[in-house]
Amino acid sequence: MEIKNYSDLGTLELDILREVGSIGTSNAANALSQLLNQEVRITLPEVRIMGYNDAIEWIGGPEAITAGVLVQLGGEINGILLSVQQLDFINLILSNMLDTQVESYEQLTSLECSALIEVGNIMISSFINPLSTLANISIRPTVPAFTVDMQGAILTVPMAAFGGQSDYIMTIGGNFICNHVEVPCHLLLSPDILSLNILLGKISNPYG
Amino acid sequence: MDNKLTVGIADMKLARDSGTLITYALGSCVGICLYDPILHLGSLTHIMLPLNMEAGRKNAYKYADTGVRQALSEMTALGCSRSRLVAKIAGGAKMFELTGGTIGNIGVRNIDSVRTILKKEGIRLLGEDVGGTTARTLLFDVASGKATIRSYGKPEQVI
Repeated sequence: MEIKNYSDLGTLELDILREVGSIGTSNAANALSQLLNQEVRITLPEVRIMGYNDAIEWIGGPEAITAGVLVQLGGEINGILLSVQQLDFINLILSNMLDTQVESYEQLTSLECSALIEVGNIMISSFINPLSTLANISIRPTVPAFTVDMQGAILTVPMAAFGGQSDYIMTIGGNFICNHVEVPCHLLLSPDILSLNILLGKISNPYG
Repeated sequence: MDNKLTVGIADMKLARDSGTLITYALGSCVGICLYDPILHLGSLTHIMLPLNMEAGRKNAYKYADTGVRQALSEMTALGCSRSRLVAKIAGGAKMFELTGGTIGNIGVRNIDSVRTILKKEGIRLLGEDVGGTTARTLLFDVASGKATIRSYGKPEQVI
């Protein structure tokens, strides 16, 4: 079945994507758990298809400041993987890796930013790896890019990248629970429509 | 009447005499204020992409070219004269310095497209705060025609 728009996605396709999100997020949680040397659980991964403005409300309003690590996927599929790191998550990483904490984003030093990029990169790569194996496709991520800014503007990057194709943005992913506290670290995969077809085709019919 | 009207992404709002039009977190997107100083009629458009090449264009305000034209026609319908109209723009930042990607710099393309379309339509561009790497929130005061820009880690700027 050829998907032309996100609204064409049926229950079966959404289930497949949810599974993709589940495998990716749990593998990323695994990597994070090893890195932090503590238990990391995940919330039930969701597949969301949202209008632009709804997506920004969902992530917590346009003007709130967050850190974002972004990787563009190339190879057989195109897409963007974004790790949105809010202050709670940042402090969790910093206290475990560097034994420091920050009260606001302005206090982040270049060493601390570098640690956050690396953690983002490790989680993003561990999200992609099982996906690549599952669908038997090669996925090449770019070097990660990092910014601290209004999260509304960070979220418009995947929107603008695929905006010519759709009035909606699709995100696949979940949150982490570290030491029984839910830490909002949205790990979001936004594939373009063509890649979505490739991905669904390969997973639902691996021998085709 | 000092009300605030929020302009979403790919959206446009109009106000007359008083009130503030506000659009949050412009990244690579560009916010375009159009103003008739005699009528005190202003519009704020939040565009996301430079050119409308979409088949069956549903939302004109998503694109610089169709967005500006649509806003202009809404304003002239309310009695604005094109010769009086002036513009102020903000946005078009590059949020991520991505090496090896194919996304490119949508911000710069948006700015170029907005400037081109304003020139084509004969609208004077009075002020701008564009480019760079930080997101902007744009507030447009319709009573005075002043545009205020809020950014993270920077002082407020008025154009």
